Amino acid sequence: MALGSGEVGIPIYSPVPESLYPLLAVLLLTIGLLLTAFFFIYEVTSTKISRSLVQEFATGGAASVFLGFGTLFLLLWTGVYV
Amino acid sequence: MARAMALLVLLLVACSSLGSAAAGGSFNVIRADRKVDLLTQVVRVSTAWKVENTGVELATEVQLALSSAQVERLAFLEIVVKGKGKNAPGVFVTETDVSQQGSVTLYTFPLPKALKQGEVVSFESYVALVHQMKPFPEEISQSDVQLVTYDDSAYILSPYPVKVQTTTFQLPSSRLESFTKVAPTKVMDTEVRYGPYESVEALKSKPVTLHFENNQPFAVAEELVREVEISHWGNVYITEYYKLANKGARLKGSFSRFEYQARPGASGVSAFRHLLARLPVNAHSVYYRDDIGNISTSHLRSDFRKTELELEPRYPLFGGWKVAFTLGYSVPLQDLVFKAPDGSRYLNISFGSPFSHVVVDKLVLKVILPEGSSDMSVSVPFAAEQLQERRYSYLDTVGRKVAVVVKENSILEHQFKFIQVYYKFKSLGMLVEPLMLVMAFFAFFASCIAYTHFDFTLSKSTSAYLAQIQRDEVMDVLQRLQKVLSIRGAAEERLDASLKEVTRTGDIAACKAARKAADAVWKGTSKDLKMLTDSLQSSVKSVPGKTPSVKPSAIVTKVESLLQKEKEMVEKLQQKQMVIVDAYERKLSSKEIDSRVAPVQEKLESLKQEVSSLISSLDD
Repeated sequence: MALGSGEVGIPIYSPVPESLYPLLAVLLLTIGLLLTAFFFIYEVTSTKISRSLVQEFATGGAASVFLGFGTLFLLLWTGVYV
Repeated sequence: MARAMALLVLLLVACSSLGSAAAGGSFNVIRADRKVDLLTQVVRVSTAWKVENTGVELATEVQLALSSAQVERLAFLEIVVKGKGKNAPGVFVTETDVSQQGSVTLYTFPLPKALKQGEVVSFESYVALVHQMKPFPEEISQSDVQLVTYDDSAYILSPYPVKVQTTTFQLPSSRLESFTKVAPTKVMDTEVRYGPYESVEALKSKPVTLHFENNQPFAVAEELVREVEISHWGNVYITEYYKLANKGARLKGSFSRFEYQARPGASGVSAFRHLLARLPVNAHSVYYRDDIGNISTSHLRSDFRKTELELEPRYPLFGGWKVAFTLGYSVPLQDLVFKAPDGSRYLNISFGSPFSHVVVDKLVLKVILPEGSSDMSVSVPFAAEQLQERRYSYLDTVGRKVAVVVKENSILEHQFKFIQVYYKFKSLGMLVEPLMLVMAFFAFFASCIAYTHFDFTLSKSTSAYLAQIQRDEVMDVLQRLQKVLSIRGAAEERLDASLKEVTRTGDIAACKAARKAADAVWKGTSKDLKMLTDSLQSSVKSVPGKTPSVKPSAIVTKVESLLQKEKEMVEKLQQKQMVIVDAYERKLSSKEIDSRVAPVQEKLESLKQEVSSLISSLDD
């Protein structure tokens, strides 16, 4: 597996360009927080009878996806390369 | 590990076949010139050899010899074979075999071109040794200079007989306390020349000792742990833990800061303050700290070609003093990690410490690969011990694999030796980290859902509980009611808007169409309203044993009056619409239209007010 002398491999870059980290972090976290707000508003204003489990899980799931990825890019933006 | 085992086997095999190794293929050294560089704490010996093949067969290898004392402290060994012709480039060769013969260790090097009988090959050998200079006296005071002794041999230790040889020792200063005389010996300012000696047999040595002044800093890192952590998101963290000591003559007596600062040239000449490190060009986020905290006495100079870091420990290091610190920096991923032609990835990093004049007694290089890496293998250009470890870092589940390479006696030359760590990694594996965060957040949301769904009341038959249930049902009905009313309200607004359009454009057909649509909405929703009022009636039955805050009947009456008013409003709106359409069809003047509409309009406004106030009062 050793390289011969003079062979240079192709440098590896991050899959997402590093200049996009701040934008992605802010964008994804904003959307995630908005969805979190929707989730909690729905929880508070709906009655026991009219609550729909599907909607709860859908909103919660979407919010967690955006918050998860947003937190990842926030960590990368601040220099904690996980 | 495997490499060490292989070397051991080779050693055993070589020992068993000693006879062939002794003569080394019968060479004769025509001329050997050795220059021993004693300027710093590292002894660098470069010897120019001119060797003739006196044997009958083709010679493919040549050997170098080192005494056993030297072998322990060998840091670097290399041969450059000169090509034919004036400007032919030299070929760098490293040893292929190491064998022991008595107290001498023989290193075998392959020749790039086999030698026929009588042919001559010229090459230069470079040997670097550490810890060869012993401070003598071992303890000095602050104002003394540092004197060291160096033991070597006047004859070059060669496995072949040497015809003509000379040895030159280069000293850092012209102060030479004593030296062993082996005729002919000549001292010239900062050089001592032994030789030329003629017809010396193989493996013959004549011990000499030099005692001279050497004030160069004897900076030795007793242990250096270099951790290289790779993150595929674009960064490589390098952290270096140093345990630095001054291995020169120990300081005797007390340290006077005043004397040190007042007479810098005459006090503490063997102590050192500054350390210069060459970091990778794109190194950033450099930090320098120790157990106490950040050390601010440092300077970082970087341009587009190099990055230099000058460090000053918290105190100057006199003989025998130690200091421990941590140096860390980050390098962009694309500078160090590459994709090999077979699809695997590899890290290409320089092995030695970035400091220029620090000798490392034990260098431990740890390469921490990202989670999910497999098939780890290390390619090192010299003999070193290899281990494996596991490390738990950010967002880890199973841990990261660590390749550990341990080497003794590392010096500046190792900065130019590169080590490669190969591994396989699927790009999809990078998703594990964000998915873990997503799972964490989802667990939080799921717990919220569970909390709102579960019923935590202790008893299901108390009046308070039943009252609560009733309240929930009533709230539910009222919510649905509000939804229906808002639909009807929207239809009313649409009709209103179309009426305004009529006053502007005079388009009656559109108005009629809007009226038709509104009527349909009202008809449909009136059925819903009936259903809702019925369910409200049924749910608002008095609860036994508890008087609710607002009488159930009160709610029902409120709702009924609201619906009544709303119905009236709708009728009035319809009336208004008919009046306007009629007026337009008969083409009355606008004044008359207004006069007819006015009373209807007033009633409409008041009704609107009442309806909205009732709706808001329903909320409590």
